[in-house]
Amino acid sequence: MSDVIEPGLELLERQNRFVSEHFRRIFVQIYHLVQNVADAQDLTQEAFIKALQHQEQLKDGQKAAQWLSRIATNTAIDFLRRSSRATFSELEDGFESGSETPEQILLRSEHREYLEDGLRLLSPRERAALIMRDVEGLPAEEVAQRLSCSKATVRSHIANGRTKFRRYMEKRKR
Amino acid sequence: MRHPNQEILALHAGGDLGPFARWRTSRHLARCESCREEVARFDEVRQSLPGLAEVPDLQWNRLAAEIKANVRLGLAAGECVRSADPPLRQSGLIHSGRAVVAFACAMVLVVTGMVLERPLPRAAREEGPLVQNTQYGIEVTAGGETLGLTNNGVQRVTYSLDAQGSMGARYIDPETGYVTINTVYVQ
Repeated sequence: MSDVIEPGLELLERQNRFVSEHFRRIFVQIYHLVQNVADAQDLTQEAFIKALQHQEQLKDGQKAAQWLSRIATNTAIDFLRRSSRATFSELEDGFESGSETPEQILLRSEHREYLEDGLRLLSPRERAALIMRDVEGLPAEEVAQRLSCSKATVRSHIANGRTKFRRYMEKRKR
Repeated sequence: MRHPNQEILALHAGGDLGPFARWRTSRHLARCESCREEVARFDEVRQSLPGLAEVPDLQWNRLAAEIKANVRLGLAAGECVRSADPPLRQSGLIHSGRAVVAFACAMVLVVTGMVLERPLPRAAREEGPLVQNTQYGIEVTAGGETLGLTNNGVQRVTYSLDAQGSMGARYIDPETGYVTINTVYVQ
């Protein structure tokens, strides 16, 4: 714990601070992969629990954020593997829609559904690589770090992801 | 003209090729319209994907509170499970201490086994009654006297012995044709 969060504070307070510091970033990261709020919340909790239970594995406190991101990515990928089904239920429930007309909301919802259908065709690792690269805009090196694999493997996942997605888009256009 | 494969074009669209591969692909694209179209399609894919970056407008404070509470609960539950299990990491001292205790237990077992296996001294055996089978049947000897239970001269007899000290003889009586079982209990 001392490496991850400041020593000297009460354990509970330190854990709370650690969660507070990172939870939004980790939640968003996981949400991008699973595209579902309830699942993202469960997986965020799971990732934090794993991290706090195995904090002795972290040697360099400076790399806590990176280490936590990797745990979160693996947790989400495991989830995607476990559930070949992917539920994207609450499409518009939480999205800000104050300035949009009902037609705009519907169009956006349809577009999102269309993209999510395409994502389902990708393997969990292809999906993760493509989202980190093309949605989050991370450099391939960082994607490789988060996925704990080589840059060449990441490139292969990205290329496969783009190719599958392109085929899907072309099929839907017809 | 040799065209780059789909993987190269897909990576080129996102600027994911190394410097040399990028330069070579760019040179090819400059004079190949079909490959330029392919790259444009991959580009279209890339431009549509950021639509997935949107995150719902959530009540972040409430979400944070829920996550913190559940993480705390999860850690406490993990602790409960862990305390029921033997600790995973122990010091070398504890390890070696346990090894010594295990070795001592093993030695005690071996010695006990050897003592139990060792035949009793003759004097001790003679103190109690002795039951044995002979060519005539089962004989019990105690205090210098012997009592025998004969098998009626039958040669094919099956003897059995149990840990309580009883002995049995089973055979087919040639006169009656019945199966006869004699059992002698020694106390």
